[in-house]
Amino acid sequence: MKDLRAKVRAFLRSRRFVPAVDAWHGGWDEDFTRDLARHHWVGMTIPRQYGGAGRTFLERWAVTEELLAAGAPVAAHWIADRQVAPSLLAFGTDEQRHAFLPPIARGECFFAIGMSEPDSGSDLASVRTRADRADGGWLLTGTKVWTTGAHRAHGFIVLARTSPQAGADRHAGLSQFIVDLRTPGVTIRPIVSMGGEHHFNEVVLADVFVPDTRVLGRIGDGWRQVTSELGYERSGPERFLSTLPLLAETAAATGRGELPRHPDLGRHIARLAALRHLSHGVASSLQAGRPADTEAALVKVLGTTLEGDIAELADHVGAASPLLRTALLRRPGFTLRGGSGEILRGVIARGLGLRA
Amino acid sequence: MTIDPVLLDLMTSVFADRGPTPHGVLDRALWDTLSSCGLTRLTTPEHSGGSGATWTEAAVLLRAAAARGLALPLAENDLLAGWLLTEAGLPSDDILRTACVLEPAGTARGVPWARDAGRIVALWQTGDGWLVADLDPASVHVTRGTNLAGEPRDDVAADLAATRGVPVACHLAEEFVLRGALARALQMTGAMESVLRLCVTHATTRTQFGRPLARFQPVQHLIADIAAETSLARAAADACVREGLTPLSVAVARSCAGHAATTVVRNAHQVHGAMGTTAEHSLHTLTLAILGWRADYGSLHEWDERLTTAAVTAGGELWALIAPV
Ligand SMILES: Cc1cc2nc3c(=O)[nH]c(=O)nc-3n(C[C@H](O)[C@H](O)[C@H](O)COP(=O)(O)OP(=O)(O)OC[C@H]3O[C@@H](n4cnc5c(N)ncnc54)[C@H](O)[C@@H]3O)c2cc1C
Repeated sequence: MKDLRAKVRAFLRSRRFVPAVDAWHGGWDEDFTRDLARHHWVGMTIPRQYGGAGRTFLERWAVTEELLAAGAPVAAHWIADRQVAPSLLAFGTDEQRHAFLPPIARGECFFAIGMSEPDSGSDLASVRTRADRADGGWLLTGTKVWTTGAHRAHGFIVLARTSPQAGADRHAGLSQFIVDLRTPGVTIRPIVSMGGEHHFNEVVLADVFVPDTRVLGRIGDGWRQVTSELGYERSGPERFLSTLPLLAETAAATGRGELPRHPDLGRHIARLAALRHLSHGVASSLQAGRPADTEAALVKVLGTTLEGDIAELADHVGAASPLLRTALLRRPGFTLRGGSGEILRGVIARGLGLRA
Repeated sequence: MTIDPVLLDLMTSVFADRGPTPHGVLDRALWDTLSSCGLTRLTTPEHSGGSGATWTEAAVLLRAAAARGLALPLAENDLLAGWLLTEAGLPSDDILRTACVLEPAGTARGVPWARDAGRIVALWQTGDGWLVADLDPASVHVTRGTNLAGEPRDDVAADLAATRGVPVACHLAEEFVLRGALARALQMTGAMESVLRLCVTHATTRTQFGRPLARFQPVQHLIADIAAETSLARAAADACVREGLTPLSVAVARSCAGHAATTVVRNAHQVHGAMGTTAEHSLHTLTLAILGWRADYGSLHEWDERLTTAAVTAGGELWALIAPV
């Protein structure tokens, strides 16, 4: 594993890019992604028969840590690599796997996430996007929001209602669809963030035809599937390393005497080091196929808070860095995206037996 | 990190019916039982009469005792005093020992369990290097004191001019602190895990407004944060045990445990209400012990400062410091 890390580090040193905070969210660089893919560092856990590297989750974990720590521009393939590939492997048909996994592993096929809607955020099961039966497929109608990268990605996985909510089980009647973002009926509009950036979008679906061959998994099984997808979405090192480049820069500037010394520097480093141990545990659980919901929620609650605290520290000591500006602008999103801190505390409480 | 199941059984059964000790008073009967089971000198080599185990086993023992609110000089006797004697090539036996680093004037403040010790192993610096001696308490002056939890933290004064020591390597002084500090981090995490259990039990059984406290989301979140901080602190301490004590890994463990203590203690008392502040309720045997241990072998600030120094002297290679290859 140390060899692998050393290789990635050497690669990163040899490439030209401006280290950024939150680069897994904002650093879209398709050339960089393809370069990584040539080194088999995209789609690492995809089996070889589908064009992947057939590596373990722990190896992927080590590589993603290195990429994040360097602030490398990895946003283009991030979602496809992190959650779409595992979802296809878990629930996709063989045809779907052959269609999508090899281009994902080559760094040529990018995905977005079609979960949130204007009226459905934390309460994901309340999504109103509808899929109606049509000849040979389904017609999707509804609006997805905060769809990061939809304006550049090829496809996204849409969570939609395939049968109206009946009875008490709110989780029944949901299904997932692989939707080509260039299909007629798909309208993508930018949503500009408070920093003036365009990362996320509103995606309106108006009678978008999705063939039966692009249903992901089983009709009606969408909730179970999306929960499993969230497991991958929530558990990685991007939930504590988003602002590492800023922390590194702050430490270096302090070392040069340009910033006053603050003991929170040490405190944050301790938390990062310990979070790495916890996160390694989550990756091991994923590798062994063990459920890791509570563990992943613990890492994400602690990690996303820390990411914001690092921005605070840099601001407190007066860091004059463009990284700080981005970190402060993005920070509110850290504890919202992928399930808010409050929702995750609820997941932890459930794991402790405090709630049903 | 797995340990021999027989040993694990032994540790579980020996503490089975033990509740928190009234603090400040050493439970001699329990100590003797532990001693006869070979648990008081767990990591001392077998040729010196110990059990020849490692930090892995010691960690389980320290946590098991701490989790029950038991105040015992396990770390002092074995991981500090026993270790120093072994390093110095001095003989050891079943007499209860504590250990301390003496100032040049021959004094040490807040030495754990000094009043209960049959011998006090001292480490001190002279012009020619570091020395160790296995002192007879009759030859030193002990002034009693206690920590927040009531555990003995006595001041010790020895007459160094009249004391003969055995020379040891100079790195032992730093290692002494690291070992003591990790032991406390392990004890803290053991106690925190019990605090978490107490909170879950209390919140699910205490009813207000016609429902268990656990049904209130603010209470759930207080406890979720206890769980999060505790698991972080535990992961850091476990990593030291697994990967070896280094100045960095111990500092990480102590910083995480120390900051976790803030949240764990504050939230646990909040969840327990007034009942948790009483002498009768056992919560304080854990929370006060956690705070007491946090003050031993370096303050939280000192550990954060050590890490800060490591970070600012990493020459821009912060990540390599955190994730060495
Ligand atoms: C940067 C960024 C990128 C994103 N990218 C995507 C994407 O690509 N695809 C996608 O589908 N979504 C995306 N999202 C959306 C994200 O998943 C939602 O923001 C998140 O689920 C929260 O939903 P919401 O924003 O509607 O807030 P709400 O659900 O309205 O919540 C608002 C506040 O109320 C709290 N709250 C809500 N319910 C409860 C409750 N039961 N108990 C206690 N507190 C509660 C929340 O914690 C939060 O503090 C992104 C968000 C951000 C910030």
